[in-house]
Amino acid sequence: MIKLAALVQNETLKLWLKKRFIVIVLILLILIPVFTYAEHKVVSNHAEHFADWRNQILQQIADMENTLSSDRIPEEWKRDRRIAVQQLQYYLDHDINPSEPSGVQFTREFLGNSITLFIPMLVLAIGTDIVSGERTSGTIKMLLTRPVKRWKVLLSKLCALTLYVSLTIAVTVILCYLISGFVFGYGGWSAPILTGFKIEGSAIDSSSVHAVPQWRFLLMQAGLCWFSAMTVAALGLMVSVLIRSTAASLVTMMSAIIAGTILSSMSSSWASAKYLFSVNLKLTGYLEGTPPPIEGMTLPFSLSVLAIWGALGLIVSFRVFTKGDILN
Amino acid sequence: MSRSRVLWGWIAASSILATVVLAAGLGLVFKDLLAAPAAADRKPEANVSPSPSAEQASSLADMKEIRIVALGDSLTKGTGDPSGKGYVQHVADGLKKKYGKRVQVLNNLAVNGMQASELIERLSHDSGYQYAVKQANLILFTIGGNDLFLSARARMAQKDWKTLEADGLAQGIEEALERFRRIADTINRLNPSAKVVYMGLYNPFYDLDNLRRASISMQEWNTGAYAAIHPYPNMLMIPTFDLFEGRIGEYLSSDHFHPNREGYERIAGRMLESLD
Repeated sequence: MIKLAALVQNETLKLWLKKRFIVIVLILLILIPVFTYAEHKVVSNHAEHFADWRNQILQQIADMENTLSSDRIPEEWKRDRRIAVQQLQYYLDHDINPSEPSGVQFTREFLGNSITLFIPMLVLAIGTDIVSGERTSGTIKMLLTRPVKRWKVLLSKLCALTLYVSLTIAVTVILCYLISGFVFGYGGWSAPILTGFKIEGSAIDSSSVHAVPQWRFLLMQAGLCWFSAMTVAALGLMVSVLIRSTAASLVTMMSAIIAGTILSSMSSSWASAKYLFSVNLKLTGYLEGTPPPIEGMTLPFSLSVLAIWGALGLIVSFRVFTKGDILN
Repeated sequence: MSRSRVLWGWIAASSILATVVLAAGLGLVFKDLLAAPAAADRKPEANVSPSPSAEQASSLADMKEIRIVALGDSLTKGTGDPSGKGYVQHVADGLKKKYGKRVQVLNNLAVNGMQASELIERLSHDSGYQYAVKQANLILFTIGGNDLFLSARARMAQKDWKTLEADGLAQGIEEALERFRRIADTINRLNPSAKVVYMGLYNPFYDLDNLRRASISMQEWNTGAYAAIHPYPNMLMIPTFDLFEGRIGEYLSSDHFHPNREGYERIAGRMLESLD
């Protein structure tokens, strides 16, 4: 046990010394102000054109209804818009502003938008070379010739990775809040957000819709982000064990994830694509009530698919790492 | 060695804390999933009551600022105007020039293809629509064109020229007018102090021989609509049929139904002449 803790400490410090985490923080420090500025532009543009948020939502609804009446719009888009219209109408009927600008609201949107690509990318930036890097540089020999069981070595790497995944998401949330709050204000923790929209075809079942305070919504979102990031980390670990070259494993993982986002936007016609992990990464969409990429997907479904993929990834990595010929 | 121990301590503590918090967030998701509570029906407190609608200004010149809300069908939407302005924006621009004060189009809620029955439905049940109408002090609307011309347009789209008949138009007119009366009444109840402008219909098929007689049914509609808004002194009807009769080629867009940019400008010009 003590030995494992020492191993985890060793791996964590090794990752720290690679300075990847610092790079991630720097990336966030550059990107978040850019997005904050963009959002600020949007907000001030709306403030100029609309007397208050109700007018803005009304206009949004009317605009969407106009696109619905066009014959050129594909049926899937119409379905998504019909759902969006019903949601906006629900917010309006209950007199709740869905996007009162605040630091918390910005953070919430940022997390929702970064869960499919940005956060997986950050996780891969930390994790892809965690095993393959040692093989490239040859340090794996030193590691494995010491009197430590191989599974413990890999487990310590997994633990270190987990710690950094948590840290990455936490830092993303904190930096988002601090930077955007400077522009939009640091309030908004208790603003009500509706969740629990159930989507059936192109209609919304609002029987289980309920309002939660925004802090709770954000926490739930962050938890879901963590879950999908951990799936990506587990699969990244597997690829890192299987593929010797770091560049190749990074490309493999990134293309798998990007393929998922492309498939999500093409959607529906290929129903069994819903069993691919990368199509299921957008867990936060279920909280917000955006229609899933493929009909019939639900939050429990996506959680299970991701859990199974993650577990398989870990099983393969441990098997290959302990039994396979790693040293060459 | 001790420096790296301190570093490890920091990383470990903060990341374990982060993990615990994130896991708690995930736990909340499960709790929320399992215990999906019965819809917490949070009704709006004391229904939305926009502040500035109380002023009893009879003419636009006396108003501090002009707040326009536009309702209705594609004519109000501005379909056919490549600049996207439609008559609503032209009226807003014109008023700004005329009075030199703040003119804001609060909402253009027009939806392509809207019929009188849909508008009455929205006005009486949609709290958002009601909110917008209450806020405005100038309401512009068009309705009825789709009730009257829907069948004719569908046939035109299929190039089914032979079955185009003017007789079908007259049939639904009485029911449609009944709905129109209810619309006028509802708008007046929601906001009795706002100026309301209704744009009369024109016959876009005046140049087609077998549909030329549609102008007669249309005039019937216009007369009925005028009678419907006549009891309300703050409501105004702007005729447009004469604008288009001789100049269909000039003022209609390529779909042969909606005005083009010039057509909308002329409609707006008429409204500006009549608004004081």
